[in-house]
Amino acid sequence: MQGYIIRRIIGAVFVVFLVGTFSFFAIRVLPGDFATASLGLDAGSASAENIAQRKADLGLDLPIGEQYANWLWDTVRLDLGTSFLTQNSVWYEIGRSLPYSIELGVLIMIVGFTVAIPVGLISAIFQDKALDYSLRGLAILALAAPVFWTAAIASLVVLQWDLFLIDVIGQPHLWEDPGRAITWYLIPMFAGGFAGTATTMRLLRSQMLEVLRQDYVRTARSKGLTESAVIIRHALRNALLPVLTVMGVTIATIIGSQVILENMFNIPGIGNKVLTSLFARDNPVFQSVVLIIAVFTVLTNLVVDIMYGVIDPRIRLS
Amino acid sequence: MSQIADPTVVPLRDPTILERMRSATVSLGRFLRGKPLGGSGLVVCVIFILVALLAPVIQRHDPDQIFEGPNPDYKANPTVIELARNPDIGSPVVVEQFIEPSGGHWFGTDKFGRDIWSQVIHGARLSLIVGLGASVIAVVGGLIIGMISAYYAGIVDLLIQRLVDMLQAIPFLVLVLVFTQITERSVLNVVLWLGVAGLAITTRLIRSAVLQVRESEFVLAARVVGASDLRIMIRHVLPNCVAVLIIAFSIGIGAYILAEASISFLGAGPQGIPSWGQMVQAGRGSLDLHPWQTVFAGSAIMLIVLGFNLLGDALRDVLDPRLRGA
Repeated sequence: MQGYIIRRIIGAVFVVFLVGTFSFFAIRVLPGDFATASLGLDAGSASAENIAQRKADLGLDLPIGEQYANWLWDTVRLDLGTSFLTQNSVWYEIGRSLPYSIELGVLIMIVGFTVAIPVGLISAIFQDKALDYSLRGLAILALAAPVFWTAAIASLVVLQWDLFLIDVIGQPHLWEDPGRAITWYLIPMFAGGFAGTATTMRLLRSQMLEVLRQDYVRTARSKGLTESAVIIRHALRNALLPVLTVMGVTIATIIGSQVILENMFNIPGIGNKVLTSLFARDNPVFQSVVLIIAVFTVLTNLVVDIMYGVIDPRIRLS
Repeated sequence: MSQIADPTVVPLRDPTILERMRSATVSLGRFLRGKPLGGSGLVVCVIFILVALLAPVIQRHDPDQIFEGPNPDYKANPTVIELARNPDIGSPVVVEQFIEPSGGHWFGTDKFGRDIWSQVIHGARLSLIVGLGASVIAVVGGLIIGMISAYYAGIVDLLIQRLVDMLQAIPFLVLVLVFTQITERSVLNVVLWLGVAGLAITTRLIRSAVLQVRESEFVLAARVVGASDLRIMIRHVLPNCVAVLIIAFSIGIGAYILAEASISFLGAGPQGIPSWGQMVQAGRGSLDLHPWQTVFAGSAIMLIVLGFNLLGDALRDVLDPRLRGA
């Protein structure tokens, strides 16, 4: 078991290193750089010397190998550098935006799972009944609808019937001003939850159908357990395991939709930082946020796999 | 050719084109009856393909044409104050923006007075090119890489698998956004990069399929009779992976269409061609009063993705029941 965990950790660290390397080179391969772009704003002043000077200030004039070695050494020491755009340290930028993203991400997951688990369960219990078909139809729709469109239609509904005011300027946290924060998060959290967990619902349904056919479920029934005990204690617990294994994918999907939702609702989170730093060629911020997202997904996968190995000994052997 | 006719052997002949068509029709009919959802998905896909092909015929207007009409408030020589209240007052014609859906404009007009119906019709072209093109690239690339990875186990496999892990640790949308920024954002480049971003998933799918086939008895038998690696791969492994290839191809299409719509929505999509994602974004500026552009373009995205997803699900169930629910 220990050997398995150690192997997995080494693999995870290597993947994070690859992602960091990828984002380092990706942002430099893109046409344009921050020095030229920032000088281009004040028209005419961007002479060749100015650009060269600016590049030297930002460390963009060094040979790419040296830049990479510097980046690697700094990152290993957890020094993420300074944002080109805001001149703040990258850690400060992340510290400010991460809470928003975690807040929204957790809300999306809560919405998603409180919908997906009962719906998947009901769908499996009423297999091939009208209820099953309509719930599955809903899941298929949820998979097909683009998250930005669901959010736009939800905003339209809110605007048309004047349900509540969507405050996209105050940017309060839930713990600061829950009343205003919730109106801000309400649409993105439902749109994200709707889109992010359709897969979970379908997977849970098919797993439940599988599990309900197993011998131990028949045993549980013949022992005279109530139907709810059979379904929740014996069937659901086993059916949820495979749902857990795709947690890493689910989280990556949710982060992907957060990039769009944070942009739409002016939420200053990590997803928004990905976009602004990418378009502004703010290298230090871009590298760091991509790295943090990768650490997050890789860590989720690692924890899930190790937990799975603990629960199910068959996995360790393969 | 052998001169001696063996009466016990019924000569095999290639089926004629007519027979082939008949057998294809029969299996299509069986598919439609057995999988009504998949069948309706197929119908939706076919409709969209027809719409895209016939766009210039059924468009009713040029998608870029700006409609102008007489200005009801027109005044020949407005005073400065009147002009300040209504800047358009001095011109006899104004852009017919935000017309409600009507006989003249089935889906209404957008902010710039362009016909939304024509734009949605032409948007189908981009979505289909992107979805089908990117999926072909991802499957062909994934086939080559997945086969190499599965066949030459060891260090090559390990390295490819870690690279796949790397690509999957980054959200697909971010990956696509980065890739498409590298080159000029033409339709072709966007298709190419979407396919490259999708390589991780197809490589993984195809690799595991090849690994399974590789362990089977007939591959061992082929090796025993001395077939070369390349021959085993092409003659024995590849035909047995066709089902997985079709599945990987069909279930990817919807995802690529959604990804293109998303980057277009964020203003980073292909340029110079009507795009549904970009239309949803454009309509958001006046969502509360004139929602039609957003509503119609978004519905089109949902419908086309729905069609391809339903078709892909049904194909997967038919071709490989083990993957059901995956």
